Amino acid sequence: MKTPQTLERSHGWRKWLLRHETLLLVVLVLEWSLFYYFGTSVNRRGMTVGFGTLDRQFDILRHSCEIGLLALALTPVILAGGIDLSVASLLGLCAVIFGQLTHDLGLSLSIAAGATVALGALAGGLNATLIAGLRLPPLIVTLGTYSLFRGLAEALTRGAVTYSDFAPRFLSLGQDRWLALPVQAWVFFAVAAGMWMLVHRTVAGRSFRVIGFSPEGARFAGLPVTRNLAGVYVLAGAIAAIAALIYTARLGQAKADAAIGYELFAIAAVVLGGTSIFGGRGSVTGTLLGVAVIAVLKNGLATLPVVIRLNAAEEISGMLTGFLLLAALAGSTIPKLVSARRNRSWSNGSFISPSP
Amino acid sequence: MSRYSRELSVLAVLAAMLLALGVWAPGFYRLQPLLSLATREAPVLVVACGMVLVVIARQIDISVGSQFSICSVAGGLLAAAGWPMVLVVPASVAIGAMLGMLNGALVAGLGLPSIVVTLAMLVTLRQGLNLFRQGEFVTLPDGVQWFGLSQSVGQALILAATGVLVIVLAAALRHVALGRQIYAVGSDAEASRLAGIRPRWVTFFAFAALGALTGLAAAMNVVQSPQVQPLSGNGMELKVIAAVVVGGVAISGGRGTLWGATAGLMVLACISPALVHLHIEAYWEKAIQGAVILLAAIAEGLRRRRSDA
Amino acid sequence: MPLLLAFHAIRKSFGAVRALRGVDFELRAGEVHALLGENGAGKSTLIKVATGAHAPDEGSIAIAGETLSALTPALARRLGIACIYQQPALFPDLTVAENLALRLEPVRPFRRVDWRQRTRTAEALLSRVGAAIAPETEVKRLSMPEQQLVEIAGAVGAGARIVIMDEPTASLTRREQERLFGIVRSLRKDGVGVIYISHRLEEIFALADRVTVLRDGASAGTFPVGEMDEPGLIRSMVGREVSHLYPPSHSTPGTVALKIEGVGCKAGGISEVSLTLRAGEVVGLAGLVGAGRTQLARILFGVTPADAGSIEVGGRAVTIRSPQEAMQLGIAYVPEDRRRHGVVLEMPVAQNITLAARRRLFPGGWLRFGRERREAGEFVRRLAIKTASVDAPVGSLSGGNQQKVALARWLATNPRILILDEPTQGVDVGAKSEIHALIRQFAASGQAVLLISSDLPEILGMSDRIAVMRGGRLVEILPGGSTAPQVMSAALGQTLAKGKDAE
Repeated sequence: MKTPQTLERSHGWRKWLLRHETLLLVVLVLEWSLFYYFGTSVNRRGMTVGFGTLDRQFDILRHSCEIGLLALALTPVILAGGIDLSVASLLGLCAVIFGQLTHDLGLSLSIAAGATVALGALAGGLNATLIAGLRLPPLIVTLGTYSLFRGLAEALTRGAVTYSDFAPRFLSLGQDRWLALPVQAWVFFAVAAGMWMLVHRTVAGRSFRVIGFSPEGARFAGLPVTRNLAGVYVLAGAIAAIAALIYTARLGQAKADAAIGYELFAIAAVVLGGTSIFGGRGSVTGTLLGVAVIAVLKNGLATLPVVIRLNAAEEISGMLTGFLLLAALAGSTIPKLVSARRNRSWSNGSFISPSP
Repeated sequence: MSRYSRELSVLAVLAAMLLALGVWAPGFYRLQPLLSLATREAPVLVVACGMVLVVIARQIDISVGSQFSICSVAGGLLAAAGWPMVLVVPASVAIGAMLGMLNGALVAGLGLPSIVVTLAMLVTLRQGLNLFRQGEFVTLPDGVQWFGLSQSVGQALILAATGVLVIVLAAALRHVALGRQIYAVGSDAEASRLAGIRPRWVTFFAFAALGALTGLAAAMNVVQSPQVQPLSGNGMELKVIAAVVVGGVAISGGRGTLWGATAGLMVLACISPALVHLHIEAYWEKAIQGAVILLAAIAEGLRRRRSDA
Repeated sequence: MPLLLAFHAIRKSFGAVRALRGVDFELRAGEVHALLGENGAGKSTLIKVATGAHAPDEGSIAIAGETLSALTPALARRLGIACIYQQPALFPDLTVAENLALRLEPVRPFRRVDWRQRTRTAEALLSRVGAAIAPETEVKRLSMPEQQLVEIAGAVGAGARIVIMDEPTASLTRREQERLFGIVRSLRKDGVGVIYISHRLEEIFALADRVTVLRDGASAGTFPVGEMDEPGLIRSMVGREVSHLYPPSHSTPGTVALKIEGVGCKAGGISEVSLTLRAGEVVGLAGLVGAGRTQLARILFGVTPADAGSIEVGGRAVTIRSPQEAMQLGIAYVPEDRRRHGVVLEMPVAQNITLAARRRLFPGGWLRFGRERREAGEFVRRLAIKTASVDAPVGSLSGGNQQKVALARWLATNPRILILDEPTQGVDVGAKSEIHALIRQFAASGQAVLLISSDLPEILGMSDRIAVMRGGRLVEILPGGSTAPQVMSAALGQTLAKGKDAE
């Protein structure tokens, strides 16, 4: 007995998911076109400068790798109903540790890189132990590690030391191109592909969603909740470490204040991308689109003449990202409020029978 | 009374720290530096009092640092424009209240999670301020610092005002129905609704109160130096939350006291001079703050585990 | 004597399920009126109508002689209707005095709070109900019986004229019960009307003036307690035509699939349970709410592991410490709370069905969508699940079909032991028969089924043997041909055949 109601709703469910990502794509294209139109010009020597140059586009790609990696790291965490405010601080800590390993301890690049990723995973393990093991609220734990990791970075560098003079071989990770694209882009794509497969093609990825929708339900389905929850935080730590390597290579230096404030951009990208902050719903594609929207926004603003005159690229992009995040949150909640009201009127003799 | 076990253990820690300082760093107990320390921390205590309200209501607000900065700069500008302090203080409070109400509207009105909302507000407000001031200080006219009186009198005034405020707030939290309703909402929002309380309005009020208190704290900060730094509020939210959590206010809502948070803040305030006297560099402060938050969270979790068993 | 409350022809349905089919009920001032009926007879729904939590589809409600057009929870409280549930609705972090005060004080936000007055009021109310509790104790430190007393004190303080008590003695000692009876009697003396829901017949005889028996959503009669005896009451509770045809059982029980001896779990309130399940048989697990059936299921599924006794699966001694371990042993559990534990409402049918069988369907951890759709489509066909497609979210299905999805999820794991907890609760008649046929089929294929149900005809019609639980223990194992009164008396603790109190 298929009533028109169920037909409409089952397709509506899929339609909404697609619709959200299409919307993002439209926003991205609009945004990009706007910046191209207003941010590109021809200088006195007849060369095209501003947004519309290939160099600029590669810059955008480079910048988006770091935020993108953090956003990818956060996606399974938020899908599973958690949150991690410490990823950007962990990036800073890993950058500093990498600097120390290569400069102070003289380790080779590959060993230092491997050790850094391992330490990132270990730091993620601290979050994992407290949140999945001791069942402490993720909010306060990651607020604490947000402070602890950044603080350790500052302490290790005594608040002043900057590591530079990296081997050109390392710097090429952040500054050169390979097969026509920036090197770090390939790393980013690899991680993105891996994350996509984890979230959308594996049993583990599906279990994250179940845990996000219903932790109790996950338990009764025999899912290893504690192990999976711990896993997402450890993974986030490892990815933050990779982001640290790329960040250091791009800037050519490792400082304690690396990536300060990036957590907002990462969370905004994830939420913008359609992942529900309450867990269960979301996609890696959405996150990637969200990263693109935010990266283009951040960099495109810096090419607008009015912004250049005000010298306010960072400020305006920060404000706009904050607005976008709030708008995305509000946008996802309002339909839920509306449908909840609609559901109440459905509960009289219709398909959905609440338990008596 | 084991009901106040959390607060009592914080007091014990504070007593131990003060004792240790007395033994190993007696230089800590000199009147003038202590007064200056207390006066510097007084605004943080005022903000912490507001944060207690929000946390008891089972929410959080990490944008208080940015609110503080905005109110400081606004107050400074008004003072520089010739407004008397008698008008500047209420203006700062009003601005803070409006910012708090904005948070409250988003969290209570739309049901958005407070951590993400206030994270967005933190950045938006801070960047908005940067855009406006470009990091420029506000130079205050004579007669603003210490209300135009001598430093000691000014300090005494601020400390007295803070003390009165804390006492009044603690009394209100205990003896005014709205204060009790905050506890009820934080303990069980659904049961509150059944008891006739309106959880959304109570939550909204908590955020607005925090904003107003932040505005007041900003005004207290303005009169302490000849200039207003726009970056003055940076990082304040972590200190305030750490003080609140250490002071026994549960993140899960429904319990906690102002004097617990006061003790918590005092413990944190002692850390910095303790570091100096132990010859540990100041750049360890942030890491220690983070560790303190984690330890307090673990303690709370263990306590909860024991009482559930 | 004026009527405090009068229900006339109350009807209430939830979707396809008719919970109340035209019930008349009245409560006089100064009387204790017991409400008796087996699980699912409609008692909770009737109570929810009385407290305003549910609005009846049809029928009239009159409170103190005045007919009401609508009853909301707020209005019900104002009219003096108070309900004491088994799960107290108190604020755990606040003190007893504050809980009572929040209940009694007006809600104006800027009113001054007088703590001395609060303490005095609390002390007065607590002593009136005979509770030796200090008013400044936090509620979460109180035991269940103490919390119950606080709730009663609150109801008394709020001047309730109609007090509803839902299984109040479920977790009380003899002495606490006596104290409660004293409170009920003093309420009656004050002219309060008490609606008393209980399964304990001796309490009803000791306390109540009248008793109304509910059966299948209708009233089977209201009797003065003096005119009834236990067998008579039990007959009213269960006597009915078994109009529903259950699939016949042809299987002969085979090897022992599951054997438990002396199993207990302190946290779950279970002790000394011994039971054997054979391949090919359906063992019904009967008992009243709170008897411990779901707790036993949770022990077997590893949700709350046993701390006493031994468990053998397929002849081998095992320990079951988690659902994963249970699944590895071939045990499957379709939980009682369908919406929270049985299915994930927001996820599609196909994903729900394949969730538990992931190890078999997705070796190596990689999802295979083709296989998933085939498997899900197979089950949709086999179980006749009515859904627009396998991609529809389970929340869009009717209750019966959601239950089928929950069942499919576990059938897909090819379990050797299937534990079903209220599998047809909230399910319409058509789907019910289909599920029964499936259960029979499944057992006939050589597996063991433990069927937990509060639906007596279902237990009688489906079970090869019936195990009855009471108070956390397995008290009796009855043969398949037993009658309803036999099962009910075992569940209640009366022994009909011997005619004496089995307590």
